[in-house]
Amino acid sequence: MDRGDVRTTDGTLALANLTAQVDMLVGQALPAGSPDSAAHRILEQQATLVDLLTLRGHLLGCVADYERAFQVADRMVATAPHSAIALSARARTRATLHRFADAWSDLDAAHRAEPSVDGLDADRSAILQAVGCYEEAELLLQNAASQQSDFASLSAQAVLYAERGSIAEAVQAFAAAHDAHRGVSPFPLAQLDFRRGVMWMREGDLTAAHEAFDAARRRVPAYAPATGHLAEIELLRGNAAAAAGYLRPVAETSDDPEYAAHLVLALRGLGQHDRARVWRDRAKRRYDELVRLHPEAYADHAGDFWLGPGGDPGRALRLAQWTLVMRQTPRARAVVERARAAVGASSPDVR
Amino acid sequence: MADHFSGPRILIDPASDVADVYTFPSPDRPGRLVLALDVFPAAAPAARFSDALVYRFRVRPVARDGQGFSVGDQEYTLDVTFDAPGASAGSEPSAQTGTCTLPGGEQLRFPVDEATETGGVRIFAGPRLDPFFIDLKGVLATDAIEQLAFQPEGASNALQGANVLAIVIEIDPAAVFGPDAGPLLGVVGETVIAGGRPTRLERMGRPEIKNVILASKKFDQVNRDLEIRDLYNEEDAFAVRPDYEGAYRARFDANLAFFDRLAGDIVWPPGEDGTHPLTDLLFADFLVVDTSKPFSESSSFEIERAALAGREHTTCGGRAPNDDIVDTLYTLLVNGVDGERISDGVDQATRPATHTFPYLVAPNPTPPDAMTVLTSLLPPPAEEPAP
Repeated sequence: MDRGDVRTTDGTLALANLTAQVDMLVGQALPAGSPDSAAHRILEQQATLVDLLTLRGHLLGCVADYERAFQVADRMVATAPHSAIALSARARTRATLHRFADAWSDLDAAHRAEPSVDGLDADRSAILQAVGCYEEAELLLQNAASQQSDFASLSAQAVLYAERGSIAEAVQAFAAAHDAHRGVSPFPLAQLDFRRGVMWMREGDLTAAHEAFDAARRRVPAYAPATGHLAEIELLRGNAAAAAGYLRPVAETSDDPEYAAHLVLALRGLGQHDRARVWRDRAKRRYDELVRLHPEAYADHAGDFWLGPGGDPGRALRLAQWTLVMRQTPRARAVVERARAAVGASSPDVR
Repeated sequence: MADHFSGPRILIDPASDVADVYTFPSPDRPGRLVLALDVFPAAAPAARFSDALVYRFRVRPVARDGQGFSVGDQEYTLDVTFDAPGASAGSEPSAQTGTCTLPGGEQLRFPVDEATETGGVRIFAGPRLDPFFIDLKGVLATDAIEQLAFQPEGASNALQGANVLAIVIEIDPAAVFGPDAGPLLGVVGETVIAGGRPTRLERMGRPEIKNVILASKKFDQVNRDLEIRDLYNEEDAFAVRPDYEGAYRARFDANLAFFDRLAGDIVWPPGEDGTHPLTDLLFADFLVVDTSKPFSESSSFEIERAALAGREHTTCGGRAPNDDIVDTLYTLLVNGVDGERISDGVDQATRPATHTFPYLVAPNPTPPDAMTVLTSLLPPPAEEPAP
C-alpha cells in the first residue's frame, strides 16, 4: 500500500511485528555482577525493549506498557547501577510517567557513570520541554544534534517549536523531519503527524489538525491518541456520532481512561445518558487508580475529566493546582484557569 | 552472528534486518543455483515480511583478478516483495502473498509459507529455523580479552532454537541470467525501500564482515567513535561511495591486524602504508560462487583462499547453510590461507539444513526469546564462598 509520498510498512503488520519483537525481548533480567561485553549487549537489548514497550504504549494508549517499560528499566538499574545505558533507559521511562525530577537524577547519574554517552542531552531537552523550559531545551537540543539522526533531531526541534508556539518554524521543521526520514517503519512518521496535529489543535485550526491526525492513522490505523484527537475534533464540530464511532473501539481496548471520558461526552451528545453513565463510572475508577499510581502523569488529565464529564470542578481545581506546582506549562495554567472559572461559577465564594 | 542485528538502526525495524545470505549450487537439482536470504533475526511466530520493502538479490559476473576479483557491469536482480497480510483477494487475514520479479521482468506470485515452482523457478518464503550457528560467547570474549577465547568444551550455539524469516529461490542460471553469465558470480542480498526513493537499508555479502570484523571500535585510531555498520549497510557492495571508503578501509586494516595478533605469529604482514593484505579482498563484500562446480557443503571462502594463494579453486565456493563459516573465517584471519583450523566448538545449527528444497528446516514453534539467548552468553555466576 502506498501511503502518500513516503512508503512505509502496513501499520497493522508493523504493529504485529512490534509485538513479535517485544515478545522476543522479554525474558530473563541481567544477572547481577556481569560487567563484560555480553552484559553490555544484554543491557542494550533491554534498553531497546524499554523503548519498544514505550512506543507500543503510546501507539495503543496502553498504560500497562509504560509500567512494564519502567519495571524493566528499574530492574536494569538494580542489577547494573553504574550503567549509563540502564540509567538513561530508566530516565526515559520516568519521564514518560512525568516523574521529571527522578528522570533528571537518573540522567545526572548516567553522565557521572559515562560522561561521553550519547543521547543524554536529547533526553534532558525532552524533560525541560515537558516542564516548559523551552529556551534551555533548545540549547540542549542543539548540543544533541550531532549525536542524533537528522530525523530525530529535526522532529525534536519541530515539537519544541510547536510547544512554545513558534508555528512557522515548527511547520518548516516538521516538513524537514518528514523529508529526513529513513526506513520503512510507519511509527516515526505517524508520530510526527500526530505531533503536528497536536500543534494545529492547540492553534485552533481543526481542519489542519484533522488532516494531520488522519495522516497518522493512515500509517497506523490502531494509533489510539490520533484516533482520540480525531474524536475530539468531531465533538468540537458537534458531530457526536462520528466521535463515538472513533472512540468506542479505543475505549474498549485502551487502559487509558481518556477515551472513555471523551466517549461519555459523545454519548451524552447522542442522548444516550445511561450508556454515558457506565463509561463515566469506568473512567472515574480508572482515573482514581492512575492518580494514585502515577500522580505526576495523570493528575492533569484527571483534572480535565473532573472539570468535564466527571462533573466535580472542586476536585478538578485541586488536581490542576497540584499539576501546576509540578510543571509550569501553558496547558497546566489553562486547566487551572478553567477549573477556577468552573468552581467560581458553581460557588462564588471559592477563589 | 552472521549479520544479525548488524547496526543500531536496524534494531527498531527487524523486518529489514538481513541475518544471512547463502548461495550454492542445488544439491537437489544439479545445474540449478540456490539464493537464500534470511531476515528478522530471532523472529517470533507472529513475525511477517514488510510490505514496504524489496528483498533483493543482486548478482554480477565476476572474474579472478590477482588476489581478488573484478566485477562485470552486467547486473541481474531478483526482487521479492510482499503484500500486507490478508491484502490479496480471498486470502486468510493473516496470510501473505509474495511476488518474485526475475531479471527479465517476469513476475511470479507465490503464497508465503509454501514451496512453489513456476516455470522452473522454485520459491519459498516464510519462517524457518535459523541455520546459522556460532559460539558468540567465545567471539565476544576474544574481542574483550584480545586472545582467542573459544572453549570447545561446553561451547553453545547462541542461536539455538531461534527462527528467521527466509526467502529461498532456486533458478536455472543459464535460463534466468542468460547463457553467458558465469560461471563465477558475485552475490549480495539487500533490503531496499520499495517505491519512491529506492534507499538501501541493509546489505550482506560475506558473513561476519560487520559483526565480527567491523564492529569493534577500539583498534581503529582513525574513527574510534564511529559506529560504522549503519553506514556500511547503506553502501552498494559492487560500487562503494568514495565518501566513506577511507573510513571503512581504516576499520578493516585496524581490526584485521587485531585478528592476526591473536595467535602470536603475524601471518598477514601489512603493506608499507599499513594496508592489511585481506582488506581489498573483504572490502569487495559479496559471495563468490562457481555455478559450474557441484554442490559442496563446506566450500565457503575456498575461491577467495585460492585467489590469495594464487592457485585454481576447486569447489563451488559460495556459502551453504551447514558450512561452519565461523571456524573458516577465524582460521583465515588468524592462521592464514592454509593455517591450522580454529574451532569455536559449535559445529552445526539447531537442526542442519537438508539437501532438498527449501533446504532450511521448519521453524521452532516455541523459539527462545532474545534475552534468554543473550543471557546464555554471560559467564556462570561465581560460586558463593563456603562459610
